[in-house]
Amino acid sequence: MQAFKVYGKRELQDSSLIVGWSEDAANLGTRVIDYLNKKLATEEFGEIDPVDFFPLGGVSVEDDIVQFPESKFYCSYEKNLVIFKSNAPRAEWHKFLSSVLNVAERYCHVKELYAIGGMVSLSAHTSPRELLLVSNLPKMKNELGQYDLARGMDYETPLGQRPTLSSFLLWVAKNRDIPAASLWVPVPFYLVATEDAAACRKVVDFFDKRLALGIDLSDLDEAVARQNEKLAQIRFSFPEVDSYIRNLESNVALSQEDSEKLAKEIEEYLRRID
Amino acid sequence: MGVRLYKEPKLENPVMVASWPGIGNIGIIAVDTLRNMLEAEDLGEIEPWDFFYPKKVLIRNGELKELEFPSSKFYFKRTGEKDLLFFIGEEQPADGGRTYAEGKKAYQMANLVLDVAQRFGCQRVYTSGAAVAPIHHTTRPKVWAVPNSKGLISEVKTYENAILMSEIEGRGGQGNITGLNGLLLGVARKRGIEAICVMGEIPVYLQGFPFPYPKASKSVLEVLTTALGIEIDMERIASFIERSDKEIEQLYEKFPPEIKEQLDKLKYVSYDKPTEPTPITEEDKKRILEDIDKFFKKEPKED
Repeated sequence: MQAFKVYGKRELQDSSLIVGWSEDAANLGTRVIDYLNKKLATEEFGEIDPVDFFPLGGVSVEDDIVQFPESKFYCSYEKNLVIFKSNAPRAEWHKFLSSVLNVAERYCHVKELYAIGGMVSLSAHTSPRELLLVSNLPKMKNELGQYDLARGMDYETPLGQRPTLSSFLLWVAKNRDIPAASLWVPVPFYLVATEDAAACRKVVDFFDKRLALGIDLSDLDEAVARQNEKLAQIRFSFPEVDSYIRNLESNVALSQEDSEKLAKEIEEYLRRID
Repeated sequence: MGVRLYKEPKLENPVMVASWPGIGNIGIIAVDTLRNMLEAEDLGEIEPWDFFYPKKVLIRNGELKELEFPSSKFYFKRTGEKDLLFFIGEEQPADGGRTYAEGKKAYQMANLVLDVAQRFGCQRVYTSGAAVAPIHHTTRPKVWAVPNSKGLISEVKTYENAILMSEIEGRGGQGNITGLNGLLLGVARKRGIEAICVMGEIPVYLQGFPFPYPKASKSVLEVLTTALGIEIDMERIASFIERSDKEIEQLYEKFPPEIKEQLDKLKYVSYDKPTEPTPITEEDKKRILEDIDKFFKKEPKED
């Protein structure tokens, strides 16, 4: 029995697929995908049944609301784009990722895929956001050479940690000869628990250019300006926070204790005023 | 989901020795030491991606070069009489952060391992793990031996320093073997293959620490080599034990004095059925074990 259902009204040809996971730094994947879905007025295209991939012994409650794992495909026929938004599966990862690619290949005939992820950075929010690229095939890396991407990353999973689900997805795609890239935006550690409009803008801007989406980014520009204003306000109101951030701006690392304090102050402040 | 064999050697009356990680890595250290000492050759592997989440990614110059998974490998060694097949699993296929495999994945893996065993004509399988016991770390660990059929009991009784569950006081021959080191015996029984799990004892107060306990691995090795009729040089594991003993002594010195005092009494506790009078009474023994359990808040178990 196949693990997915497809209910799109027709198949796509040579489409692009964007994949985003919940629960990454600053919820970047979810925020970018929600933004794209809204802007492009996408339609639901299909889904992966949760039964094999998530423990269904009950439900969790967050912010007073029951949560349930979702793994959904959306599409914009006009832009020839498929978007997959999902919680990260808790079991049968290979089967899950293969199911994603089965839908992508059989029903969307994808020519390429992109996975989005936020990663924790020790830099200050005033540093420009970078977009780091990891590709699974040399041709993908070459094709993306014209964009503003950091393409020379070297990385090896440290002992005691595991690779990301996006790396696993890229590997499964590579075995099927599907060009794929994961796009990573370093998010300042003190914005990881809330959101980072600048990181979101960076990713959307890339997709807008790469996939010719024709999105008006002015609302994201405004969101970035609002975020900067709020952070300027907290620096002004709390000299200690300002001093921590100034240190980061001068490339002076904070102690574990100071880092935790900074993250807590900013998180509480942003939640209070939002 | 399948097995990839690199070669198809013809083996004479082969016996399989298999192990997965568990408490103190006792079984896997014993089996891997044996494999190494015998210079067993690579035979094949179980394809990992349906069982495991990857353990390592290698990215070079922005390109994903490799994704590494926990290995599940087969090896073989011709001995002239009973040839040997080894299976060593780097991890148990467990979901949700558990250490031990259970359910469908565990059953599938056990069947794949036994498929290979039968393909080469194995009629006997050994697995190896740990037995958490109320012993002191300065004593020689015994080996708990659990066969998967009645017919093997008389053979197990001949193994030096090994005991059956029924010889452990208060157990009545009952117990559990958690994870694949145990499950493989059950699946082997279902297929009519003889199997024995040999578990080296680890002191109850060391079971939660993330370091190996090679002293018990040596006891397991002694039982396995006798059972298989082979000899190996124990020098390598002896130096491993020496290092481990030093680390354990350092840790032991950090225990509160009142706990150490209780634990020291374990040097004189004999929990298998007594054959001669011991220096402490049954009542003393019960109290010591209760105190230790209370302190470490863990039930004795096997894997």
